[in-house]
This record gives sequence, C-alpha cells and structure tokens, in this order.
Amino acid sequence: MARALSPRRRLLTTIAAWFVALLIFFPVLWMLITSFKTEASAVASPPELFSADWTFENYTEVWARSDYPRFFWNSVVISIGSTLLGLAIAIPAAWSMAFVPTKRTKDLLMWMLSTKMMPAVAVMIPLYLVFQRVGLFDTKIGLVLALMLMNLPIIVWMLYTYFREIPGEILEAARMDGASLWNEIVYVLTPMAVPGIASTLLLNVILAWNEAFWTITLTTTKAAPLSAFIASFSAPQGLFYAKLSAASTMAIAPILILGWFSQKQLVRGLTFGAVK
Amino acid sequence: MTTTAGRHAETDFRTRLQDWLPKIVLAPSVASVMIFVYGFILYTLYLSFTNSKMLPSYDWVGLENYIKLWNLPVWYTALANLAIFASLYIVICTVIGLLLAVFLDQKIRGEGLLRPIYLYPMALSFIVTGTAWKWFLDPGIGLEKTMRLWGWESFSFTWIKDNDMAIYTIVIAAVWQTSGFVMAMFLAGLRGIDNDILKAAQIDGASNWQLYRRIVIPLLRPAFLSAFVILSHLAIKSYDLVIALTGGGPGTSTQLPATFMYSYTFTRKSMGIGAASAVIMLMTIAAIMIPYLYAELKEKK
Repeated sequence: MARALSPRRRLLTTIAAWFVALLIFFPVLWMLITSFKTEASAVASPPELFSADWTFENYTEVWARSDYPRFFWNSVVISIGSTLLGLAIAIPAAWSMAFVPTKRTKDLLMWMLSTKMMPAVAVMIPLYLVFQRVGLFDTKIGLVLALMLMNLPIIVWMLYTYFREIPGEILEAARMDGASLWNEIVYVLTPMAVPGIASTLLLNVILAWNEAFWTITLTTTKAAPLSAFIASFSAPQGLFYAKLSAASTMAIAPILILGWFSQKQLVRGLTFGAVK
Repeated sequence: MTTTAGRHAETDFRTRLQDWLPKIVLAPSVASVMIFVYGFILYTLYLSFTNSKMLPSYDWVGLENYIKLWNLPVWYTALANLAIFASLYIVICTVIGLLLAVFLDQKIRGEGLLRPIYLYPMALSFIVTGTAWKWFLDPGIGLEKTMRLWGWESFSFTWIKDNDMAIYTIVIAAVWQTSGFVMAMFLAGLRGIDNDILKAAQIDGASNWQLYRRIVIPLLRPAFLSAFVILSHLAIKSYDLVIALTGGGPGTSTQLPATFMYSYTFTRKSMGIGAASAVIMLMTIAAIMIPYLYAELKEKK
C-alpha cells in the first residue's frame, strides 16, 4: 500500500530506516570487528572502531584449541543429520497429505502443528529419562533423533504448503500415462518440489543449528554442539574478548550466510505459513 | 509371460498398495508425534503426581507437588517475571514491528537490503545473541565502560547486575531479536491491502493519520492476531536467551518458568515439582493456542 511521499519526507524516512538498520546490526558488527582485533586493541581505551593491525590470529588460535573443532563438527552432524532424517520421513507424509487428502487431513495437520507450539519443557523429563535409559544421552545420534522429532511437525507442514502449490493435474496426467506411483514421485513430483524441499531444508538446518534447549539438556561434553559450547562461556572480563568474539563469529558464520538467503523461508516457517 | 490370473493378482495387489500407501507413509510422522509429544506429555503429567526426586519414582502423592510449587517464592518470581517480560515483549515488538513495516512500505531506497538486515537477528541463535548482549551490557566491559572511556564519566548502566532491573535487559535483547520478524509479518499484511480503498479514502480527504488509524490498522487485524500468538508462545517458551544473558540471576531475579523448571528438575533434583511446573506452562499455552488454531482452521476450510 505504498503511497507517494514528498522527496524531503522520503529522504528523512530513508535515513531513519538506515539508522535503525545500523542499530539492529551493530551488536553483530561489533562482534565481527572485535574478532579481527588483537586482544590489546580489543580492550583499548578509548575503544577503537577499527584496529590498526588486523589479525586472523584469534581464529587460528580458537580453531587450534583441541575441543573447538569437535563442537563445530557436532553442530554440523546434528543439524544436517536431523534435517535429512526429518525430510526422509516427512516428504512421503506431506506427499500423502497434499495429493491424496482425506476428510481428516486438515485436522491431522493442525494437530501435528499444534505440538510445535507446546513448550519443550512439557516433554523434556520423559525424553531425558528415555535417553538415559537407552544410552542415547550425550550422543550425536540421540540429538539427531531429538531435534528431528521436535522439528518434524514443522517440516511436514512446510512441505505440505509447498506441495499444495504444485498443480495436481500434472500428477494425474502422469498417472494417466501409466506412470507408477514410484515414477510419479521420483520423476514428476520431486523435480517440481525441489525448491520447496530446499527451502524446508534450509529452514530446518538453521533451526537445528540454533537449537539450544535440547542440546544443553541432552548433552554434557561428547556430543555437545556449538550452542552448548557458547552457553558455557562466562563473562570474558576483557581477557579473551577478541578470541571469544572469534569463537562466537565462527559459531554463527554458517547462519550469517544461510540466513541471508533464507529469510523468506524463515518467516514462512516461523509464522507457520501465515506469511508467504 | 504371466498368466491372466497372475496378472490379475498383481494389479490387484498394486491397486491395493496404491490405496494403502498414502496411509502407510503417513504413519511414521503421526506415530512419532503421537508418542514423543502426546505420550511424553502424559508421562510428564503422571510424574507431576509422584514424589520423583532425582530419579523418577512411581509413588502417587496426588497434588502434593502442585501445592509445594504454589508455596515456592521462586515460582511466583518466575510467574511475575513472565508477566512483565511477556507483556512488555509483546507490546514493544508489535509497536516497533508495525513502525518498521510502515517505514519500509514507503518505497524507500534500498528496501531489498534493509529487510534482510531487520530480519537478521531472528536467524541467529538466542544463545549467541544473548552472549553478545551480556558483554555489551556488562558494566565492566560493555556500554558503560565505553561511554566512560569516551569521556562521559558519570554514565551508568548496571541493569544487568540489578535485581530489580535485570529482567528488562532480557526484554531489550528479546525485542532486538524479534522486532524485525514481526515487521515481516506486518509488511506482508500491508502489501496485501488493496490500494483502491486507500486512494478512495484519500480522495475523500482523509489525513495520513486517519488513514492508518481508521483503515490500515483495522485491516491488519489478522497480522496482529498472528503476531500476538507467535510472540506469546515465544515468550512462554523463552529459555535460551535467559540462560545466555543472565543465567536466571542475579540471584533468582530473572527466573522464568522454563528456567525454573530446568533448575528444579536437574539442579535441585525435584523432578516432581519440575513436572508440575511444566504441566502448568503447557496448560497456559494451550489456553492461548487452541482457540487460535481452531479459528484459523475454520477460516481456511
């Protein structure tokens, strides 16, 4: 509903909007800049916006710390593993709901989606106890399963809304031409659904990467990903300011990149499809 | 070569498979939600009526945990904090989100670049942003020190160390994180408004303010509703941000129900009380969610 503004008002609005953007981005920007400073200039007084000597040392040093790569690797395995597993279960389910709907499909979807709104604490104790009992506690497989289960409703829902945008006539035409169900899914549906599946994948990797509640609850050290690692940081007291900035930056770097490309999916997913 | 009968049986099997397949492939998803959400919720409910401490126990104690819970001062602190946090968070995010959306809707330069920047914080984990905010608000290293070094000697900002004010630092960080996201919801709503209605109103001599107050905001009702529901469930679920920013402290001054539940279950080894608090949180969310989802579903049908 954009309307014409006078040039002056428009300039003012633009300046204000950019100022807000700077405000919003500032903490991240500050962390980025600090991560490239030496420890000395990170705590220099008066504070320097840009340091004279840029350095990669913080990154190499944090990476060289024996345990950092492990946390990083755990994050990669857990977020990608839980996403792929979730997709494997959810794609057929969403296909079934979108193309072979029954009277109860909508209710079923709503019922699944409603669970995403529930507080995680409501299922935390049982999950914790079961994991302890069967030896999944503090294992990567355990976290892959836990995060997959937690995000499954949203994966099914997202895929369903994307699949619904595919015209069903095309599938019917394929069926008329004698395509088997397998061929129908592999050769007709999948290529058309790739953008939707990719979006869901992206969203879910981000959600899983950022997940902290479950990763803190269900791990101690062995399978702990970056979110748990960062949660264990204490106040840096100026000593390792630059190094902690580098560690945090590395923790969010994949998201900084993915996040830029997947904002639409993020909004769509987090509003449960209310905003497309 | 197959016999006619054999071919018949084969097609029969295939059609039957075609009929059953949609249900079969749906089963794993439905079953896992059934067991891991509803089954586990029932388990939690059950535990809340037992005297489980560090380990689960199956001695039925009736409502004892609930009575104990409602006699704990910390639980009231957590509830009061949730009330402060949720109301401020929802109101401020909605106001800022709406303003930003109206801003961006003016066809200003660089919108394509601004929108992702506004939305960025939402893509980042609460743990990382919470940690960044903790440094920034820490009097010894962050904002306060910076201001003093720049010559504003009397500048003081110690909310994060202050029992009464610490909860507001969580509001600040949470608002920072989600405002852009709320903006995206309102922006989608604004873009969906029919321009002709607005033009007609302008021709009738409506001022800008009247235009927004009388036409635009009422038309945004669905966006307000979804923003409210999404923000309130985020508020009740809030856990990571508090853990990263204040850890529930100083003292117990920033405990929220979710952190309360965690600390009673694991740190204080009172699983029964933890389960009881989880049940109460669940019921609160359900009271907000069920009517919304129900209405939403009816509309879409």
